[in-house]
Amino acid sequence: MSAVLEAPAAADAATFEAQELAHRYGRRIGLEPVSFRLAAPGVTAVTGPNGSGKSTLLRIASGLLRANRGQSTLTVSGKTVAPAERRRWVGYATPELAFYEELSAAENLTFVAEARGMASPASAAREALARVGLEARGADRVGELSSGMKQRLRLAFALLDRPPVLLLDEPGGHLDDEGRAMLARLIDEVRRTTLVLIATNDEREWRIAEQRIELRGRGLGHPA
Amino acid sequence: MPSRGSSSAAAVWAILRKECRSEWRTRYGLNAALLFAITTLTAVSFAVGRMSDRPDLLSALLWIVLLFASLASLSHAFVREVEGHTLTLLRLSASPTSIALGKLLFNLVFLLTIEAVTVPLFLTLMAAPPPRWGAFLALLGLGSVALAAAATLVGAVISQTRGRGALFAGVSLPILLPVLAAAVGGMRSQWVGGPIGAEARLLAAYAVALLAASLVLYDHLWED
Repeated sequence: MSAVLEAPAAADAATFEAQELAHRYGRRIGLEPVSFRLAAPGVTAVTGPNGSGKSTLLRIASGLLRANRGQSTLTVSGKTVAPAERRRWVGYATPELAFYEELSAAENLTFVAEARGMASPASAAREALARVGLEARGADRVGELSSGMKQRLRLAFALLDRPPVLLLDEPGGHLDDEGRAMLARLIDEVRRTTLVLIATNDEREWRIAEQRIELRGRGLGHPA
Repeated sequence: MPSRGSSSAAAVWAILRKECRSEWRTRYGLNAALLFAITTLTAVSFAVGRMSDRPDLLSALLWIVLLFASLASLSHAFVREVEGHTLTLLRLSASPTSIALGKLLFNLVFLLTIEAVTVPLFLTLMAAPPPRWGAFLALLGLGSVALAAAATLVGAVISQTRGRGALFAGVSLPILLPVLAAAVGGMRSQWVGGPIGAEARLLAAYAVALLAASLVLYDHLWED
């Protein structure tokens, strides 16, 4: 499929472009060729059947996965960011993200902030936890948190460095109504400054977005 | 482009601290390693008695105890991340080289901790002749760096493979044997009053070669 979705670019804004981007996991199709261009600020939903490549697309955008066909380009303030460096510019929340269960929620985020060389790791972690309503549970070990709280922690991780690009894979998973309201508030806070990409099939989530990319892959990782 | 935290030293330090904190909370490897070392030395001392006149056996036994006590934990530095599903978190926090160097430093700290308990116990229970401390500590240090570098490298390479247990044994054998041979030979020489220069140089060269190979390989380790 091919789509060009563009909003006016803000100063120091990010863009993400996919050109015939596709991926296979061995003999299975992970993502059929897709082309589009997104420019910050704005919220875009990526929808499509199970196995159509929504998560694969976000994984490629995050720099964790190297696509075996096509090209993806992330720019920040007009400069191209190499895939290996994207972690510095992209906030990524995905169901596959797990935390150290023997450490507290705050310790996990502080560790990430320290590893990224942020100026005030502990206060950045506290602030991120407060944004997702987890400030009261920051001292609890991750192993003691419920599924919904772990999902909030994933969102806090994605927001930790106030990144110019936010990739959210099924962000409402495990969240209760209050959690979903918090998620909608968070996205509203960043939609004027940030390029947000949400992979979802949940109508409540894709309705938050201003535009939508529908992947029309054959689904379920169809064999090539 | 606005600057973002990118200090490799900060990342390595953060990973080392995180590893120490996780190990302290879980005692994943420390208890098992100390149990192995203490049990083995006690059993051998009861069965064989004093070995003060057998520097060849003493040298071999010392390194065998250190190797077996530490190897299970050293080789699992990366496997724990894969099995705990925390590798994504790590990859989004630091570069592969920073991750590997942090793990290597932790393995070295772990090995030195085991040695701090095991070596005095060994010297006492085995009634070993007084070592030439300078040579003894130099060999112990160089051997530990080479051992930690070898185990970290092999552990990183095999961490995402299916048959990692069997693979670790197969891959690490040719890498660890030269380390052990040089360490045992050097230790015997220091006890009999001979020169240790050749063995020390071999251990140092091997450690440098392993570290250099690691720095080249680590950036390509987790490319999907």
